[in-house]
Amino acid sequence: MNRFEPRIIAFLCNWCSYVAADAAGVARLTQLPNVRVIRVNCSGMVDPSYVMKAFADGADGVLIGGCHPGDCHYISGNIKTLRRSFLLKSLLRELGVEDGRFRLEWIAASEGPRYAKVVNEMVEEIRSLGPYVPPQRRSAKGAA
Amino acid sequence: MAKKKLAVFTATGCSACENSVLDVHFQISPVTPWADIAFWPYVTGSQWQDLDHVDRIDLCMFAGAVRTAADRKAALKLREKTRIMLAVGACSAFGGMPGLVNLAAVRDEGNSAGADEGIDPALPGTESRVSALSQIVDVDYVVPGCPPPKNLLWSAIQALLCPGECTSRISYAASRLPERISQCITSGILPPKGGTFAGEKAVCASCSRVKEEKKFRSAFRPYAIDPDPGRCLLEQGVLCQGIATREGCGGLCTAAGAPCRGCFGKAEAVYDPGAKMVSAVTSTFDSANADEIEAMSNEFVDLAGTLYRYTMAAQCALPVGPAKDENDAGDVL
Repeated sequence: MNRFEPRIIAFLCNWCSYVAADAAGVARLTQLPNVRVIRVNCSGMVDPSYVMKAFADGADGVLIGGCHPGDCHYISGNIKTLRRSFLLKSLLRELGVEDGRFRLEWIAASEGPRYAKVVNEMVEEIRSLGPYVPPQRRSAKGAA
Repeated sequence: MAKKKLAVFTATGCSACENSVLDVHFQISPVTPWADIAFWPYVTGSQWQDLDHVDRIDLCMFAGAVRTAADRKAALKLREKTRIMLAVGACSAFGGMPGLVNLAAVRDEGNSAGADEGIDPALPGTESRVSALSQIVDVDYVVPGCPPPKNLLWSAIQALLCPGECTSRISYAASRLPERISQCITSGILPPKGGTFAGEKAVCASCSRVKEEKKFRSAFRPYAIDPDPGRCLLEQGVLCQGIATREGCGGLCTAAGAPCRGCFGKAEAVYDPGAKMVSAVTSTFDSANADEIEAMSNEFVDLAGTLYRYTMAAQCALPVGPAKDENDAGDVL
């Protein structure tokens, strides 16, 4: 059967979300295998350009995982991510990237089950949205 | 030595770039011993047939975006004749403001930039998307700007039309150019292909305003605020795009209190001008509260049209606009 399998890039912070992903694996929680994880030292280092590049290079969704506000290993890195997320989301929307394709989640190191839940939810949501294709490459010409 | 041939043409644009070439003024006259104007419809009234009598154009200064079938044909025809193709101005370099038409494909799906059909008298058909010159033909060099400042234009003319020959060689423009290009100009050889006649860093590097801690609680549109003289515009809440934009202009707009609009395209190290600006603007929000941040983010209107004002067609990482349509080109010329 030819089911659409989304490709999701997940930027996970080294101190919380990545550990949660690890814990989810060790605990043998069921997770859909559509996520490619990129470990970053802090969610605060994920520049909007990285998200843009992921979409430009064929990702169907991007997940940024960070520590809960107040828990950041670097004190305020996740607040920086939070500040960017709303404006980035608006920009992506204007460029034709649906809201559900970009997600920022706070996942603490102990929250393995939550990580698995977020991933599974996101995969299903993007599966229903279909593959991300930049408007320019969408098949039919929109004109006339 | 045979005189060189110069062509100047504007496709979809406002011809301000051509005026900018004229603005080089008394300095353009030293070029005449080395070059003839072979084709310049705007100034000499040349017709397309005139091109047939010319074997080869040495330098073509092409301004304007490619929007109509006629533009595409003009670009192809001039490229065929031309040894050095120079994209002049933001439209030709990255699509410019006409490129914003491509956004129509996202805003109301199915009703895009729109090719017009069956209009009488027959106008050149529009293509389904606006392109920069480099998306249609091979481009050798670029002079960005809207319009390009005359010192950069002049340095390009000197470097490309009369390398090592012109009597009035200048160095004032060369000091703002990337080192490799300025070295080529001063030593009279052609710069490496693909070069941009502008700076490498961001506009902030040449902006005269003082940059301190960037924090603001509310964003202003340029008309709504009388900015403090001498202080960074972005930290006063004005959406100044200098931080993502290539320098070379010398910070003219910001010096006069107008925020940078990004007409030089993205700076060398920037991946995507919009993403860079999102990062720059949001880092100045003076809040750690999600609701407050969201409210501040919502103050910005028309993000895509603002952040990619000149660069939508060629420099936006997520290509916007309907697919290119090969059947677009009609028989117009």
